[in-house]
Amino acid sequence: MIRLIQRFSQFVMLRVENSLNHVFRAELNPLYQLGAIAYFLFWMVAVSGLYIYAFYRTGVHEAYSSVESLTHGQWYLGGIMRSLHRYASDGMVLTMLVHMWRNFAMNRLSGFRAFSWYTGLVLLLLLYVSGINGYWLVWDQLAQFIAVASTEWLDWLPIFSNPLVRNFLLQESVNDRFFSLLSFAHIGTPLVMLALITVHTQRVSGARTQPSRQIAIGVVVTLLVLALVKPAVSQARADLASVAAQINLDWFFLMSYPLIYKWSPGQLWALGGGVMTLFLLLPVLARTRHTAGSFQITTVPSARSFSTKPGETILEAAIRQDVLLAYGCRDGACGTCKGSVLRGEVDYGIYQAHALSEQEKRAGKALFCCATPLSDLEIEYFENESLKQAPARTMGCRVETMRRVAPDVMVLLLRPLTAGALKFFPSQHIDILLDGGGRRSFSFANALGETECIELHVRRIPGGRFTSHVFTQMKTGDTLRFEGPLGTPFVDDDRDSPIIFVAGATGFAPVKSILEHAFHTGSKGRKWLYWGARSPSDLYDIQRPERWQREHPNFMFVPVLSAPLPEDHWQGRVGLVHEAILQDFPDLSGFRVYACASLQMVQAARPAFLAHGLSESACFSDAFLMSTHPAAQPAEPRPLK
Amino acid sequence: MKRTLQYFGQACAYALFAALLGYFSTSPAYQQLPDDYALVKLSFSHAAQRKHPCRERSAEELAKLARNMRIAKDCPRERSNVVVELEMDGQPLYHVVLPPSGLAHDGVSSVYRRLPVRAGTHRFVVRLKDTEQGGFGYVREESVSLEAGRVLVIDFKADAPGAGGFVFH
Repeated sequence: MIRLIQRFSQFVMLRVENSLNHVFRAELNPLYQLGAIAYFLFWMVAVSGLYIYAFYRTGVHEAYSSVESLTHGQWYLGGIMRSLHRYASDGMVLTMLVHMWRNFAMNRLSGFRAFSWYTGLVLLLLLYVSGINGYWLVWDQLAQFIAVASTEWLDWLPIFSNPLVRNFLLQESVNDRFFSLLSFAHIGTPLVMLALITVHTQRVSGARTQPSRQIAIGVVVTLLVLALVKPAVSQARADLASVAAQINLDWFFLMSYPLIYKWSPGQLWALGGGVMTLFLLLPVLARTRHTAGSFQITTVPSARSFSTKPGETILEAAIRQDVLLAYGCRDGACGTCKGSVLRGEVDYGIYQAHALSEQEKRAGKALFCCATPLSDLEIEYFENESLKQAPARTMGCRVETMRRVAPDVMVLLLRPLTAGALKFFPSQHIDILLDGGGRRSFSFANALGETECIELHVRRIPGGRFTSHVFTQMKTGDTLRFEGPLGTPFVDDDRDSPIIFVAGATGFAPVKSILEHAFHTGSKGRKWLYWGARSPSDLYDIQRPERWQREHPNFMFVPVLSAPLPEDHWQGRVGLVHEAILQDFPDLSGFRVYACASLQMVQAARPAFLAHGLSESACFSDAFLMSTHPAAQPAEPRPLK
Repeated sequence: MKRTLQYFGQACAYALFAALLGYFSTSPAYQQLPDDYALVKLSFSHAAQRKHPCRERSAEELAKLARNMRIAKDCPRERSNVVVELEMDGQPLYHVVLPPSGLAHDGVSSVYRRLPVRAGTHRFVVRLKDTEQGGFGYVREESVSLEAGRVLVIDFKADAPGAGGFVFH
């Protein structure tokens, strides 16, 4: 039965996620950051609560009056704060419940995750205690109803010789000190929650505790609009000599209260106990084969070894043990973490079908964010220790210079606004963060340590949101935000063996970065650069590789045009760039090839290179999509499979 | 076009989020009592009389006790049940037998009962018996006009002024 419900939940959840992926994109999908959103809402509740507390008076009469004064006397701030306090609390309940349901649906509650499941349950209970406690503070008819109903419910327990509800029989039964006690509890409980949230996330490697900026802004704006459209208000002042026939309940917190009268307090205790018992048993009931054992994972060619805890995904184990695997959404949607399992068996986990095809699975691919080992594994991983020295950051930058080097190519120099040079490595890239969401990836075009500025080569894409902006509106001095450096650097770990670089159009940028770095470090291995383009103007910086050729005897440059016009008077090579390489190197055994070009060009070149003796492990690519699609990003440099 | 649709979809998602929070934070209203009803709350805590009366210890009994335990009276701790009856307009509304609390059954007997009644003027008779023998030692009759939504609290204090020890609030 549990499995059936779980499978149905999974079916529903995957479809909802997929829909939201289309709307928000995987990296901004709110369902992938429910815990972080709940945490963010917690801070909203805390900040708005502190403001309200500054005006709150603890007394039987003052409590209601002070809240009314805050709500109506300063509706523009106090009223909005009160509304935010309420709606953010309700939002916390909603996001936490969906977070729980999602973890159940995705079977992320067994093994080492059981700890987070149980602490999450306690957090949910504390949230209810704190929220219900908060409603008492207003001391309106809703507070009166909650006070009486809560004590009637508690009195069912045979532990009170004197019924608690007698404290709310008469108006004079309630005194000022009671509200001081309530305030103390209403501040103390969230403090305990804060400590427990830290514990809750501690067992999950790299658990996300902050939602993405766009989502955070979206949530704040939504709640602000809601606060203005439907401000949170009190009901009539509490009067224990009367009872309101109708009460406007906050169903997020008080959904079970009507059952006290519809059923009986005892039956509600039975229901609560049953639900809690079920929640406590779920990690055991949902335990599966993949959550049963610990396994050892070794990586090749970079020899690293790390272990997984029962139920832990490959990515979680890697993050926990400082193995820097690439990842994005961590929920099986974006495909960034896709990698090769060379030996061993994995449970592929639950993921969006488009992120990993059956063909890719047959080829040994898996999504490391979802896959859990079923045996010891060997996976493909290219480590670069230096990555640790260049952690990705989000920062602002200013457009230092703009140089139009071809009709459709702009060279940008961006100066980070954060003090100190940005550390990065050749063939890494940055993501420009666009206003209103979205990002565009561009490779570094300058060499490590060459300048404190970032050089990007931007090719205008018809209809492209960012590239059109660059060519029509951007001016020197404008500021941008970006995240980076990102991506795995190209590791030239065999500096003396021959290497052929294949660049297509602005694919020259990362190759320039790699080559300048190689020249700077005195690499002696022989190097060729084949730069392919349609017309001479696409070879926008041809003087540079020509100069390198003159200056470095181990470097050869071959420009290749696919469609030169007679008026171009082109004297050089004509045809497809990879065919030019194969004409010059019929046997590629012993060579390495690094291709940075469009996906189509790379896909055409790879099988041809392999057919001519190029070893798979010596074939690297940085393929990119030239499209207006918001998800278009360059692939990580990795051996082509 | 696709981007416009995405923004529209995001706006819909946020609007749905807001609508859920906005609606369920106050609605639907919960009817805790029918509109033309009032509420009677019968509640008190009362220590009943001892189940067995105290008796004088004989000289022999006292001699057998340790010096510090030699108290002339032997009073069993156990208390009687409290029996309560509430009538409204001549009809029984509530009847309960309340055992004393505590492991030795020597504590107070407590009751809290919430009784919705139709609004209007009603004649209430409430009786309490707190001894093993005899009838109801405390009785009070009262006509009360109850408006819709009013709460009548019937408390009991053995030392309350007036007849019966029952207090109507």
